[in-house]
Amino acid sequence: MDGSKNGISGDQAAGVEQNTRREFMKQAAVLLGTAGIMSMVPMGTRAAAWAGGSDAPELKEVKVGFIPLTDCASVVIASVMKFDEKYGIKLVPSKEASWAAVRDKLVNGELHAAHVLYGLIYGVELGIGGQQKDMSVLMTLNNNGQGITLSNQLKDKGATSGTALKKLVDSEKRDYTFAQTFPTGTHAMWLYYWLASYDINPLSDVKTITVPPPQMVANMRVGNMDGFCVGEPWNNRAIYDKIGFTATTTQDIWKDHPEKVLGSTAEFAQKYPNTARALIMAVLEASKYIDDMSNRHKVAEIIADKAYVNCPVDVIDQRFEGKYEDGLGKKWNDPNYMKFCNDGAVNFPYLSDGMWFLTQHKRWGLLKTDPDYLAVARKINQIELYKQAASEVKVSVPKDVMRTSKLMDGTVWDGKDPKKYAASFKVRA
Amino acid sequence: MRQLLCFAQAPRLIALITVWLAYCCIVFKMRGAKLKRILIIDDLRDRAAWLKASLELADFDVVGVLAWEQVSEQSIQAASADVIIVDANAPGRDTLEQISLMSTTLEKPVVVLGAQKDQRSIEAAMRAGVSAYVAHTVQGEDLRGIIQVAAARFSEYKRLRDELKEAKDQLVERKLVDQAKGILIADHGYSEADAYKRMRSMAMSKGKRLVEIAEAIILAKELSA
Repeated sequence: MDGSKNGISGDQAAGVEQNTRREFMKQAAVLLGTAGIMSMVPMGTRAAAWAGGSDAPELKEVKVGFIPLTDCASVVIASVMKFDEKYGIKLVPSKEASWAAVRDKLVNGELHAAHVLYGLIYGVELGIGGQQKDMSVLMTLNNNGQGITLSNQLKDKGATSGTALKKLVDSEKRDYTFAQTFPTGTHAMWLYYWLASYDINPLSDVKTITVPPPQMVANMRVGNMDGFCVGEPWNNRAIYDKIGFTATTTQDIWKDHPEKVLGSTAEFAQKYPNTARALIMAVLEASKYIDDMSNRHKVAEIIADKAYVNCPVDVIDQRFEGKYEDGLGKKWNDPNYMKFCNDGAVNFPYLSDGMWFLTQHKRWGLLKTDPDYLAVARKINQIELYKQAASEVKVSVPKDVMRTSKLMDGTVWDGKDPKKYAASFKVRA
Repeated sequence: MRQLLCFAQAPRLIALITVWLAYCCIVFKMRGAKLKRILIIDDLRDRAAWLKASLELADFDVVGVLAWEQVSEQSIQAASADVIIVDANAPGRDTLEQISLMSTTLEKPVVVLGAQKDQRSIEAAMRAGVSAYVAHTVQGEDLRGIIQVAAARFSEYKRLRDELKEAKDQLVERKLVDQAKGILIADHGYSEADAYKRMRSMAMSKGKRLVEIAEAIILAKELSA
């Protein structure tokens, strides 16, 4: 009787503890077959099962790294609003200077988990650009809310859209430089996808460099780059500082795209399943809290602090509340603003989301051969652990581990044939 | 016949030994030369200078010291270093990551310093694969020497800086105490020893530091002046 097959925290199947409630739970799960049916078991029973004895968090303190960006909000709020204490842990947010440092600290155990780029976790699992390490995605932290900014110099040349940019790149030959935040990360993939949709090859037609998010605006100001892709508040900051404009939001590249995840090593999730579950629950509660729009301004004020994003509240607040302007005179209320929960649609670690990053890593030559897409995603995305946590905090769990999305160029991604999808792009490495 | 055989074989033996020696020399040289050229990237110029000096003392060749804003594919290429040493906490590390990943010719072992202070935690980090993350050709074992020197120098740098700060603070404090003593002597006619004794006993009874009492006396004097 292996617990992991039945949706109960995996490694406890050794059955040393003779906890009758848990035994009952295991049997119930076996009888009922799948974890999805777990939601039919009365809430009180499950709460009691995980709160009792051996199911209490193995660690009291959980160190969680983050990078100063608007989408670190749920990690920060889980700690500031004390959602962590409710689940028997103390979440200690740790501000990090670079994604490379986040990765290294996860790998060597200085951090237990982190607010991290989806693609980075997959990159480490596959040993892209560094030592391979088995990794885990505990949950997705947010959808949407990143953007591509172009410089005012490009605006003066008339390059205010992708099509116009393509014309300029073709007609006026020089080195065009675009920045993203990490080679395997989400911003690199959004930027590449957007450029390629306009028939600009990000690897050969222009130069792409990596710049830390808080330094993007300063670098554009001194003329080091023509455009960048980064998370908020830095696109809005470029408008605020009058040095650039928003060419596109990332939700216009892929509506409700996955962005940051709560990542850890596989070792952490295996060794401390109860702590990991408690952490997911605390961050899920924070996500719900942030998605209540009446709380957004307060959250913006909290994360604007020097200890977190270190940026004026106004710059964070506008887009955080869905109020967009592009710096070219257009203003709109974006229904696809940065979402943190959306009743669980955001947070479920869809296998198709994880595989998408692998298909793009393959497309851009970061992976030389096709990996076993589905097997890798299954290994990394901790669906069972997430399901337990989500049902515990009354967040809906979708039925399917895949979802279907239509991207800006009209292509549909449903996770069914990743190898074919990865090979289907005309513009590639 | 036997003699002839020996004579016939001797040159071959000598030739063999010569070839073997030459081979050893090359291997030895290669091993020594493998990690000779070091590039340091650090915004703190004095720290970089310390590191450079110490590496040169250990017979390494520091081919360049760059600030982070100077880091580009060209500048890394131009340095043609064997090893790059950077501060673990520098935001610019992601920039370097992209450069090493996208241009395979620039794959270099990057030694990250700063986060770990003692040799044991550096070794633990290395075992976890941290410092050698672009070292496809170079194993952690080869980097050890550099890390030992650099890490030792890092902690030496930190110790000296702390000592310097302490010395400076002490000098400032002594000046303040002397000034306060002067006030007490001039305004109340105490001897120097008495002035000091009064300040010290007040510090003890109030549970404050001597320099805080001195500051209070100076402030009071300024107020009444």
